[in-house]
Amino acid sequence: MTTTLATRPVPLAGDGLGHSAAVVVALARRGMARMVARPSLVIPTFVMPLFFIVSFTGAFSSLARLEGYGTSNVHDWMAPYAALQGSVFAGIGGASSAADDLENGFFDRLLLAPGSRIPILIGTATYSGLRSFIPTTAVLLASSLGGLSLRGGPLGLVCLYAATVGMAVVFCLLGLTVAYRMRTMRSMMLVQVVGFSSMFMSTGQVPLHFMEGWLRVVAGFNPMTDVLQFARQGFLGPLSWSTTWPGASALLLLILATGLAARRSLGKMAP
Amino acid sequence: MTSTGVVGASGRLPAIRQTAALARRSVVAERRQLLNILPGLVFPLLLAAVYSRQFSRALAMPGFPQVDSFLDFILPACVVQAVSFGATAAGTELALDIENGFFDRLVASPVARFPILLGRLAGASLVAAIKAAILVAVFLAFGAEVKGGPAAVLVIMVVAALLVLAIGGVGQVLAIRTGSQEAVAATFPLVFVGIFMSSAFFPTALMSGWFRVVAESNPITWVIDPTRRLVISGWSAGDALQAMAVPAMVGLVTVSLAVRALHRKLGRP
Amino acid sequence: MVPAIEAEGLVRTFGEVRAVDGIDLSVARGEVFGFLGPNGAGKSTVVRMLTTLLRPTAGTARVGGHDVVTGSAAVRRTIGVALQDAAIDPLMTGHELIRLQSVLHGIPRAAARARGGELLERVGLTAAAGRRVGTYSGGMRRRLDLAMSLVHQPEILFLDEPTTGLDPTSRQALWEEVRRLNTEYGTTVFLTTQYLEEADQLADRIAIIDAGRLVREGTPEALKGSVGAPTLRIDVAQGSVETARVVLCAFGPDRPAREGRVAIGLDGGAARVADVVRALDGAGVVVDHLELDAPSLDDVFAEATGRRLEGAGEEL
Repeated sequence: MTTTLATRPVPLAGDGLGHSAAVVVALARRGMARMVARPSLVIPTFVMPLFFIVSFTGAFSSLARLEGYGTSNVHDWMAPYAALQGSVFAGIGGASSAADDLENGFFDRLLLAPGSRIPILIGTATYSGLRSFIPTTAVLLASSLGGLSLRGGPLGLVCLYAATVGMAVVFCLLGLTVAYRMRTMRSMMLVQVVGFSSMFMSTGQVPLHFMEGWLRVVAGFNPMTDVLQFARQGFLGPLSWSTTWPGASALLLLILATGLAARRSLGKMAP
Repeated sequence: MTSTGVVGASGRLPAIRQTAALARRSVVAERRQLLNILPGLVFPLLLAAVYSRQFSRALAMPGFPQVDSFLDFILPACVVQAVSFGATAAGTELALDIENGFFDRLVASPVARFPILLGRLAGASLVAAIKAAILVAVFLAFGAEVKGGPAAVLVIMVVAALLVLAIGGVGQVLAIRTGSQEAVAATFPLVFVGIFMSSAFFPTALMSGWFRVVAESNPITWVIDPTRRLVISGWSAGDALQAMAVPAMVGLVTVSLAVRALHRKLGRP
Repeated sequence: MVPAIEAEGLVRTFGEVRAVDGIDLSVARGEVFGFLGPNGAGKSTVVRMLTTLLRPTAGTARVGGHDVVTGSAAVRRTIGVALQDAAIDPLMTGHELIRLQSVLHGIPRAAARARGGELLERVGLTAAAGRRVGTYSGGMRRRLDLAMSLVHQPEILFLDEPTTGLDPTSRQALWEEVRRLNTEYGTTVFLTTQYLEEADQLADRIAIIDAGRLVREGTPEALKGSVGAPTLRIDVAQGSVETARVVLCAFGPDRPAREGRVAIGLDGGAARVADVVRALDGAGVVVDHLELDAPSLDDVFAEATGRRLEGAGEEL
C-alpha cells in the first residue's frame, strides 16, 4: 500500500476551459445537494413567494376591475412580481451559502483551487439561477389555480423564466460582492433590504400610470420596471419587441455590472 | 440590574415597584437595541409611503370607505404592524432569560411571580404606545388627518399597548412552556402573515372568495376596522370601545394563561 | 536550484496593526522548514500570503517559482495546504469532500477515486468517509483536511499548526507522515508551530517569529549552540548552599534558581561536570541532586525576545 502513491503519479487535467467548466458544475451541484441536506434552507424559497402571491392577490383582487389595469385577473399582473421577488431572494440565498463558507472557513478550499477564481463566481451564480426555478414554478402553480392565463403562448413562459433566472443571478452577484467584503451572514440582510425595496418601488402591483408623485418618478427610472414588463408580457397579451428589449437589456447590463463588482471584490480578498 | 434595586425594603406595594423595575429594564434593553427597532418602524412606513402613491385610483371604487387620502386609510395598519415587530420581543427575552438561567435567579429572589411577566410586558407596552404616537405624528406631517381628534389618537396608543399585551402574552406562554427562543420567534411570522390577511391594506368589502372569509374572521380586522373609523369618520365611543376590546380580552386571556403556566412550571409558591 | 519558497520584505497590515512586519525567507526544495512562534506572532498570516489566500500589503514572495500575486493560479497547482482550522464543509461527507477537492484540482474521475481511497486509508478515515463531516471529532477533521491537502500530490506542503490540540498519539502519527512525505517523495514542507519539540524534531531549518518579525533563523543545532552554556543545577543540604554557590561560580555565570538550589551556566559544557563534582566534594558539599540541561529552543527564544515561549512558571 505504501508504494502505490510513489509509483502512480496523479494525472492532472490542466487548468483550461474544461477544468473551469468542471468546477462550475461541481459547485452548482454542491449547492443543490446542500438544499437537499438541509431542507430548512429550501422552505423559505417557496413559502415566501407563495405568501406574496396569495396575500397580494387576495387583498388587491379588485384592482383588476379598474380601467387601465392591463388585465381582468390580478394574478396575471402579480404572479410575475411574486416570482421575480422570490427569485431575488433565491439569488441572495446563493450568496448566503458563500457567506456561510466564508464564516466556517471552507471557502479557503475553493480559493486554493488552481487556475482562475472566476469559476467560483460562476458556479455560485449558476446555483442561484437553478434555485430560482423553485419560487417561479411554485408561484405559477398557485396562480394557475387563481385563473392565470398565458395569452402570449409558451414563449411567455420562456420570458418569465429568463427574467427570474436573470434576477437571481444579478442578486447573487450583488450578494457575493458584499459577502466577499464583509465575510458574514449578517451582511446578507442588507442585500435583502435592497432586493425587496427595489422591486417594491416598481410596477409589481399596479401599472406605472396608476402611480403618482415621487413613486411614479422612482418607478419610472427603476430598471426593475422594465424587467417586470419583460417578465409579465406573456400573461397580458402577445409578446412584442418593445416590451422585451428594455427589460432584457437591463438584465444583461445588471449581470455585467454585478459580475464585475463581484470579481473585483473577490480579487481584493485574495490574489 | 442588581437585585437590591428590586428587593429593597418592603414598601407599601412591593409588587408594583418590582414591576416598575423590571419594566425599566425592558425599556432600557430596547433602547440599546435601537438598530433592532428601526426595521420595525421603517418597513411599515415604506409600505404606507408606496401604497399611498399607487392606490389612489382605488379610492373611488364603490365599497371603498370615504377617505381623502390612502394615508388616512392605512394609518391603523401601519401602527399595528410597527407594534407587532416589538411584541414578540417580550416573549423572546423571557425565553432567553430562561435559556441562560437569569430566570431561575429571578424566581429564587423575593420578586413575586406576577411582576416577572407583567414587568416585561409593561415595558414593551409603553414602548409600543410611544411608537404609535411617533407614527401618528409622522403621518400627520405628511398630510394625513385623524378626524376623531386627540381622543382618537389616545385610543390608538392604548390599542397599541394592548396589542403588545395580547401578542406578547402568547409569546410568554410559549416561552414558559418551551423555554426555547426559536419557538417564540416563530410567532412573529404568524402575526406578520395575519396582518396581511386582514383589512389592514385594503377593505374586506373589495375582497372575494375564501380570502375574504379569512380576512373577515381575522381578529386583527376587528381591531383595525373600528380604529380606522376613528381616523376617517370621526369620534365614536362605540368604535373606541370595540377597538380596545379585542386586544384587551385577548391580552387578559393570554396573560392569565402565562401566569398559570408560570405557576405550573414552578409549583405554587 | 530555484528555492521552493522565497519571500522578501513581506508585510501585511490590518488597519493599524502590522501583523507581519518585513519577513525574508528562503526554503530550499525538499527541505522541512519550521516556522516557530507564539500565538499572534503572525505565522498564519505569513502562510496565508504564501498560499495566495491573502494579498501582501508590501513585499514579494515566490512559491514554486511563481509570484504569489501575479502568478497565483500557477502557485496553487504546486501547493497543498492544511490550515489551522480544518477547511471543511460540515454538511458534506468525507467522500464528497475528497471528490470535490479532486475536481477542483483537475484530477480525472477514475484516478480521483483510486487516489481518494488511498488517502482515506492512509489517514484512517475509510470507515467514517460515508458520514457527514459535521459528525467528526476535531482530530478526524484534521486528518481529513490533511488528506484533502495531499490529493494532487503537491510538491510543496503548507501545514499551519498541524498538531495544535491533538493528543500525543495523533501528533506522533502526523510527525511520521510528514517525515515520510519528505523522505519518500521529496515534498518540501513549510510547517508552522508553537511547539518547540515539533520544530526541533521535524525541521531541517527553523525560523523564529515574534510580533511579525523574524528574530532567529538556522538549523536547530546551530540555534541551540548559539545560546551558549548548558544550565547546571544542584540541590544541596541546608547550610551548604552558600558554599556550593562559591564553588560553582568559578565554573560559569550565575543563573536564577529556586530556594535551596544553585544554578550556573556551565562554561565548557558537559565535559566539565566531573570537575564540578570534584570541586564540590573537595569543599565538603553533599550533593542531593544534579541536573544538566542542554540549551533548548526555548532558551533561544528567550535570548532573542526576553520572554519564554512555552508556559510560565517553569522549574528553575
